[in-house]
Amino acid sequence: MRTLTARFAGYAILVFFSLVFLYPFVIQIATSFKTEADASANPLSPIPHPFTTDSMTRIFDGTDFPTWLGNSILVTVIVTAARVLFSAMAGYALSRLRFPGRRALFAAMIGLMAVPGVVLLIPKFLVLNQLGLYNSYAGLIVPILADAAGVFIMKQFFDSVPVSVEEAARIDGAGIFRTFWSVVLPTARPALITLTILSFQGSWNDFGHSLVAVQDPALFTLPRGLADLVSGSLGAGNQYPLKLGAALLATIPVAIIFMIFQRYFVRDANDGADKG
Amino acid sequence: MKPGRLVTAVAAALLLTTTACGSGFDDKAGTAQQSAGPADLKILIASSGPAEAKAVTDAAAKWASASGNKATVTPAQDIAQQLGQAFAGSTPPDVFYIDAARFADYASVGALEPYADKVTNLDDFYPNLRQTFTYDGKVYCVPKDFSTLALEINTDLWQKAGLTDADIPTNWDQLTAAAQKIKAKGIVPLAMGDTRDRVGAFLVQNGGWWTSADGKQATADTPQNEAALTYVQGLLKDGLVKFPKQLDAGWAGEAFGKGKAAMAIEGNWVKGAMKADFPGIKYTVHELPAGPTGTKGTLSFTQCWGIAAKSKFKDQAIKFVDAMTAADQQMEFATAFGVMPSRQSAQAPYTAKFPEDAPFIAGAAYGHGPVNAPKMDTVLADLDTGLQSLATSTPKAVLQRFDKNAKTALGG
Amino acid sequence: MADSKRTSTRSNERLAGWLFIAPVVAVLGLFLVVPILMALWVSFTDWNGQGSPFQSGVPFAGLDNYTGLFAHDGLVRQNFMTSIRNNAYYVIVVVPLQTVLALGLALVVNNRMLKGKGFFRTAFYFPSVTSSVAISVVFLFMFANTGAINEILGFFGVSGPQWFADPRGVLHLALDAVGIVDVNAPPAALSGHGLLGLSWWDWTSGPSVAMCAIIALVVWTTSGTFMLMFLAALQNIPTQLDEAGLIDGATRWQRLRFVTLPQLRPTMFLVLTLGLIGTWQVFDQIYVMSKGNPAKTTLTPAYLSYSTAFRDFDYGSGAAISFVLFLIIVSLTLLQRRALRERP
Repeated sequence: MRTLTARFAGYAILVFFSLVFLYPFVIQIATSFKTEADASANPLSPIPHPFTTDSMTRIFDGTDFPTWLGNSILVTVIVTAARVLFSAMAGYALSRLRFPGRRALFAAMIGLMAVPGVVLLIPKFLVLNQLGLYNSYAGLIVPILADAAGVFIMKQFFDSVPVSVEEAARIDGAGIFRTFWSVVLPTARPALITLTILSFQGSWNDFGHSLVAVQDPALFTLPRGLADLVSGSLGAGNQYPLKLGAALLATIPVAIIFMIFQRYFVRDANDGADKG
Repeated sequence: MKPGRLVTAVAAALLLTTTACGSGFDDKAGTAQQSAGPADLKILIASSGPAEAKAVTDAAAKWASASGNKATVTPAQDIAQQLGQAFAGSTPPDVFYIDAARFADYASVGALEPYADKVTNLDDFYPNLRQTFTYDGKVYCVPKDFSTLALEINTDLWQKAGLTDADIPTNWDQLTAAAQKIKAKGIVPLAMGDTRDRVGAFLVQNGGWWTSADGKQATADTPQNEAALTYVQGLLKDGLVKFPKQLDAGWAGEAFGKGKAAMAIEGNWVKGAMKADFPGIKYTVHELPAGPTGTKGTLSFTQCWGIAAKSKFKDQAIKFVDAMTAADQQMEFATAFGVMPSRQSAQAPYTAKFPEDAPFIAGAAYGHGPVNAPKMDTVLADLDTGLQSLATSTPKAVLQRFDKNAKTALGG
Repeated sequence: MADSKRTSTRSNERLAGWLFIAPVVAVLGLFLVVPILMALWVSFTDWNGQGSPFQSGVPFAGLDNYTGLFAHDGLVRQNFMTSIRNNAYYVIVVVPLQTVLALGLALVVNNRMLKGKGFFRTAFYFPSVTSSVAISVVFLFMFANTGAINEILGFFGVSGPQWFADPRGVLHLALDAVGIVDVNAPPAALSGHGLLGLSWWDWTSGPSVAMCAIIALVVWTTSGTFMLMFLAALQNIPTQLDEAGLIDGATRWQRLRFVTLPQLRPTMFLVLTLGLIGTWQVFDQIYVMSKGNPAKTTLTPAYLSYSTAFRDFDYGSGAAISFVLFLIIVSLTLLQRRALRERP
């Protein structure tokens, strides 16, 4: 790309697509502070005319948003912590510990990764019902406490780390769990962070599972509550500022985590490129 | 043990365990243990808006404190789905709305308790409404209220088009004439929903219906129905009728309220919406135009208070329903969110209080209820799809397709 | 003594191994394996959702639910075939679009002469991170009849369609614009005959206008992820290769075709196949934005499976649809593995 026109063209493309990819968020933010009439009349404008925090306050007293937020936080924290811990343990076991059935279990896990989530909607409902967990916090949290992909990532990671440090600890007489907790885990930090981010993102944004696991509005998480808002439980009118405002608030936590841990996000997408 | 067999053994063990712990299902549906003490009633409603939700919650709270029970009212966002999932589990709500169109589905699988004969003065309810909620000869539940469709006319837009009271249409020809005059002034004449719950009115006006009177046969493909659909299609093609989506509205009432159409065909729930959201619009209500043979026709909609067969508080639930359907309570609901009482004894006070609703109540006499045979939901949804594209399809094809699908579903 | 220590360590290790892996096995077994087996059973019955599907009164339907999808002329088959048609067109449009866009963006971002890589990379990837429900809400607003997209089209003098109310297929509209057929009066030869419950006219409709709005949303959301994968692969290409091409006098396009693209083959396969697998599962957006409307032109097998079970209480048929979908996706996954291995 030597010539000036070529460079200009390159930047033009980048700027154009940045607009395409980012402008909808600008619209989202702007519309959250517009009146309904303004939103219908000037959908593209990034400046509200007049500026009003009406919709935002209505989100907090007119809808169940605080409940959804609370539930989302509860579920995401528990699920993320559990997934990271369980995946690390399982990945370590599959990578380092010798026990019967290890190869079969790993093969089974790879197979399970191929099962598309959508296919599990009805089956999960059936099992939750059978176990009496339907429409409860347990039903919302327990089924997603582990996932095969996380185990796979941790196992791959442990496979790539030399055994020497652990062996030294073992020779010193440390038990297996001790070795795992104090010696191995600290060295697994990058993988653990990646896993934390993936799990956080996955469970914060999860919709399908909460659709079949609960139906009591008191148990809705943010995506489920948002979908409820959009499918018309508001009654009259489109009320776009309210809906977009709620969507905006739901996106902020993930956006913050994304900004802070950007390099890990980018890295995990690349991991996908390697492991394929 | 070989790894492969180990995995199989684990899977088998898990399967057996979950089958054994089948605590989620109550196999003996009818013999739910009855609790005599203070009840904790769970009530699920499909609210038409904040007005209804508030009115029902307040009434329930009043009943609860007066009778020493607890009553929790929850508005559903998709009551059909939520009830369906709830019935599959072991703890459905005790009391819930049942739409007439889905009543047969629930009754036929034994999810409902036939309590109607235990309610005060069952005969006071309109006969055709009681009939809607009868399955296999038993009246399962009592209608909570009902609504009919009528024609709403925006006074200002009507005058702007140069029309007067004399031009208010009383039959199809007059409707077309008035609509054309309105269109000539650049106003959308009529906003109407795109489902069978609106288009069906025209079938009734021409003396036909989708199914036979006993609901056991499909009778859509008849010359009368074809003529009715052709008439509607003509209105669509000429731009005299527009569906809500074409006017960027969620329903015809919203388009009407935003002044996008001079007329709308909606039920009496539109009153509440107009008062709350579009108070600036002046409008009048009239009976729907009659068909070419002078037959008046409209659609009636009703829901009943259903009590779950698995409920543990059936007696208390029946008392709750009794309180909610008392004539004066029905009048309160009518005032709060614009429905009509389902008890005949409440008709006089209602007409006295709301004389402008005379066209709606008049519809009680000739209003046709929804198709209520079990397992027809997919067929009816498919019919709606056909009606959505009525402007570009053939009426006869739509009707024939319905007949074919309905025949399979009805087993006829 | 060393021996006994080793055996006790060995059995310790076995115990530890099982303990460590127990939580994952329990959760996955109970909530992944068992559900699939249960659903398989239900797909062979006519269970209506009341009570347990394992009790004795549940009617056994054998393969009826499956044959109903393919062989039996009726509404079930028609809905299923419609959903397959919709999803197929969706896949055909989305996968090439997102792959080309991702590759194009990666190539431009990767260019050594351009600055600000970090910012652009973040900008393009950000949409992938957000919840599909939240994005669907924003796009519902943007594609409203008086929304942002139609306003932009208005700048170019084009009157935008009523996106979510328009069930007409894009192919039909294109042919109509050229004058070959009339959208409102389809040729009898095509609409009179058909295959598997849909007329030829229906099969050749292309994605509907409403579906195009959803396609735009999905391409917008997923291109960023795939762009990152291409970027990583591009950064792994040794620059000597490119420079060798330059020395040989190759133009930019020739270098792209003969040097860069072949190096990207594995990533290309990965992106294509991940795209294929992902697009056959589209559900969230359909649920939030259209629920299959208008006129069932945004109905997909995933959504159909859900609505058949949870709205029509026909769990047997719903489960059958999800297993057929499972087979479709699994075949695509196996195709991916085979295609990757065939690499020389």
